[in-house]
Amino acid sequence: MESLYLLIPVALIFCVVVIRLLLWAIDNGQYDDLDKESWRILADDDFEDDNDDRPDQHA
Amino acid sequence: MNSVQPLPEITTTACFHCGDDVPPGSNFAIEIGGESRPMCCPGCRAVASMISQGGLERFYEQRTSFNDRPAADFESRQQDFVIYDDPMLAAQFSDTDNAGRRNARLLLGGVSCAACTWLIETTLKRMKGVHQATLNLGQSRLDVCFDPRELSMSDVFTRVASLGYRVQPWQSSLRQDQAKQEYRNDLRRLSVAGIGMMQVGMFAIALHAGDIQGISTEYQGLMRLFSLLVTTFVVAYSARGFFESAWRHLKFGALVMDLPVALAIGLAYGASAYASLLGGGEVYFDSVVMFTFLLLLARFLEKRLRYQDALAWQDAEQTLPDVAQVWKDNAWTRIPRRQLGAGDRVLLRAGDVIPIDAKVSHGDSAVREDSFNGEALPRTVTVGDTVYAGTINVEDSLEVSATGSYADTRLAALQQSIDAARHDKPAVAQLADRIATGFIAGILLIAAVTALIWWQIDASRAFWVALSVLVISCPCALSLATPASLANAASLLRRQGVIVNGENALESLSTLDVALFDKTGTLTSGNFSLRRVVTLSERYDQAGILALATALQRHSNHPLASAFKSSTADGDVHDVRYNIGEGLEGTYKERRLRLGSLRFCQEIVPTVAPPPDEPLYWIGLCTDTEALAWLGLDDEVHAEAATVLRGLRNSGISTELLSGDASSRAKQLGATLQFDRVATGLTPQEKLRRVAGLQDAGATVLMVGDGLNDAPVLKRADVSIAVAGATDLAKAQADFVLMSGNLEKITLLVDVAARTRRVIIQNFSWALGYNALGIPLAALGWVPPWAAAIGMSLSSLLVVGNSTRLRRATPKTEV
Repeated sequence: MESLYLLIPVALIFCVVVIRLLLWAIDNGQYDDLDKESWRILADDDFEDDNDDRPDQHA
Repeated sequence: MNSVQPLPEITTTACFHCGDDVPPGSNFAIEIGGESRPMCCPGCRAVASMISQGGLERFYEQRTSFNDRPAADFESRQQDFVIYDDPMLAAQFSDTDNAGRRNARLLLGGVSCAACTWLIETTLKRMKGVHQATLNLGQSRLDVCFDPRELSMSDVFTRVASLGYRVQPWQSSLRQDQAKQEYRNDLRRLSVAGIGMMQVGMFAIALHAGDIQGISTEYQGLMRLFSLLVTTFVVAYSARGFFESAWRHLKFGALVMDLPVALAIGLAYGASAYASLLGGGEVYFDSVVMFTFLLLLARFLEKRLRYQDALAWQDAEQTLPDVAQVWKDNAWTRIPRRQLGAGDRVLLRAGDVIPIDAKVSHGDSAVREDSFNGEALPRTVTVGDTVYAGTINVEDSLEVSATGSYADTRLAALQQSIDAARHDKPAVAQLADRIATGFIAGILLIAAVTALIWWQIDASRAFWVALSVLVISCPCALSLATPASLANAASLLRRQGVIVNGENALESLSTLDVALFDKTGTLTSGNFSLRRVVTLSERYDQAGILALATALQRHSNHPLASAFKSSTADGDVHDVRYNIGEGLEGTYKERRLRLGSLRFCQEIVPTVAPPPDEPLYWIGLCTDTEALAWLGLDDEVHAEAATVLRGLRNSGISTELLSGDASSRAKQLGATLQFDRVATGLTPQEKLRRVAGLQDAGATVLMVGDGLNDAPVLKRADVSIAVAGATDLAKAQADFVLMSGNLEKITLLVDVAARTRRVIIQNFSWALGYNALGIPLAALGWVPPWAAAIGMSLSSLLVVGNSTRLRRATPKTEV
């Protein structure tokens, strides 16, 4: 049971990381338009491919 | 010798792009996705072929509503965009980042569904030089990041416009920025509470299992300590809003729902913290965090709807063009409209929206003011007449001299009356709000009394029993009852092609007393059609007359000319001239041929008899020697209008026609459609007074309208509906916008409102019943705080679940 002294803090660190990530995503505007995103995931397959082919994508 | 015959009904097909009727005889069809698709106009065809050539046909499969019909004068608009290449002007809505890329913020018009955002984003991202394009559907805001070395600002504008959307610079408004910030804050709090809840929940399972199976004090202390750690963070970060709001209102002596919430969270947290630090007693960290999360979730869902209604197209000024042509340094120069001031000489081409109130200094034309005053036919203007910002110059080029800046225009005054109407609108006294204060005082009192009594019986349990009462009586389900129902009803409506700006209006809609309708553009489509041909000469039959009239009308921009679009012209008519405000004149077989008003015809044939009495717009056709015919035209009435009005009357709602149009035609229409009351020739102020009068008498008022002049009334009415072709300003003020021209959606709305009301009442009965049952049980000490928290959550879930029935149920109306 001593492992709990290690596992619980590890769980907490995960927790903190997840919260940080989520807050970053929110501030990044990724959740600003929930209507569009829910639609986009279904509709957008070939367009993403087009975009990856573009040479200036990483400019 | 007079022969009166009704014309045959013309059946039409709908344009594949915008859904309007395709004029018979025209052929703009193009092939999309392997099939020939009908198009109504060159504008739609251009946009549709642009989309299909880009390989984006899938847009048409995915969209959930028709597109707006694109402006016909796209090429000339293109030149207007060049002004945005001016760095000074561009700086107002864009900035340059460190990498030298330009970030521009644009406001789009006509973006109606998610597929539009895909189309626009995809098209822009394919342009060389565009790095990023993001369109926010709720705000109609487009953020583009591009390389100014590869393309110019006007290229971006032009590309968006070429897809048939209206585009202009984004002006950030404080209110919108605040709404956005608030939304993100709420989301942050909610997600922290959610993750915290999962974490504390894990510890709680271990602790509860430990209570049953036995757990060593060492590990119990460890779990409690970590629970305390996480809960402290959640309470400090996520639940802070409850404490702040409760305190803020308490300072003014107001009891809000946040007060018992803050008390319950604070007390449960404090007692649990005390127990875990000093050992012994019970801990309820899981209840605290779950309670916080569920409450935040409910509020977030409710607020999200309100955030969506922060419509961008809400200012009257946005209906005006961005650019005006002004005489400057001996040449016509394009300048940003905002720079216009008194005395500027402005050139208005035919078809232009007039940018400023001005006096005509040169030229004759007619201005279409229907969105201002409901007058279906344009007003003739000549030197010395005043033209108003926001109206359309239809006939010919005009040179005008501005009488002031935008702030002095009639349009700006209209905007002010909208703002005033927003304040005057009677507040919707929501059931939950009315109940709240008394309810909360009651809860606090009961909790206090419970604590006191238990103090006498068993002092050690007094605190937890009182807390159970606080938690179980939490008005969470009560506060969810209305918003959850409204949100689901709104979602149903959206899928049925109704844009919902203010779902609170559904509550008013279910108790409707009076329905007011505008005429032009609302009950009628604004398109003219030929109703009667009364031939006056035996030498011409109806077809011959029609061919002559059509040949003349081909040369007119007048709205009446649209009635002749579908008929074939007689090839023998030459030298057609247009006399503004009078009619058309041409040469036919060496004779003069005139089409126009009675006076215009009498000039060459003094014996022409006046037109028949029937309330139609009559135009006469005559040659030098004889009168040929009277042609009766009419603004088409939506076919379903009569059914909708009958439906309203059957549900005991009185109907009124409020028209700005002063002609007998409006009265006739009112009689045909059996309105209970008809008022014609009204100014926007008179319309507003009528609504205010009804409201003062205690009636709940619905307004259905479309024009600029309807905007203040739409804002003021308890419920308002803007129809499909409405001006952007009217759409922004209305609670509901019908996306198709079909008025039957009004019946659907009333139906949904009634069902919503039933569900709200069920929710209230449940929430109140649950409290009535739970509070005595908790006060008797039979409900531990964790059970109270679960009970509270289940009660809320039941309310939410009951509300989703609104979303699923098939509406009775067939759509």
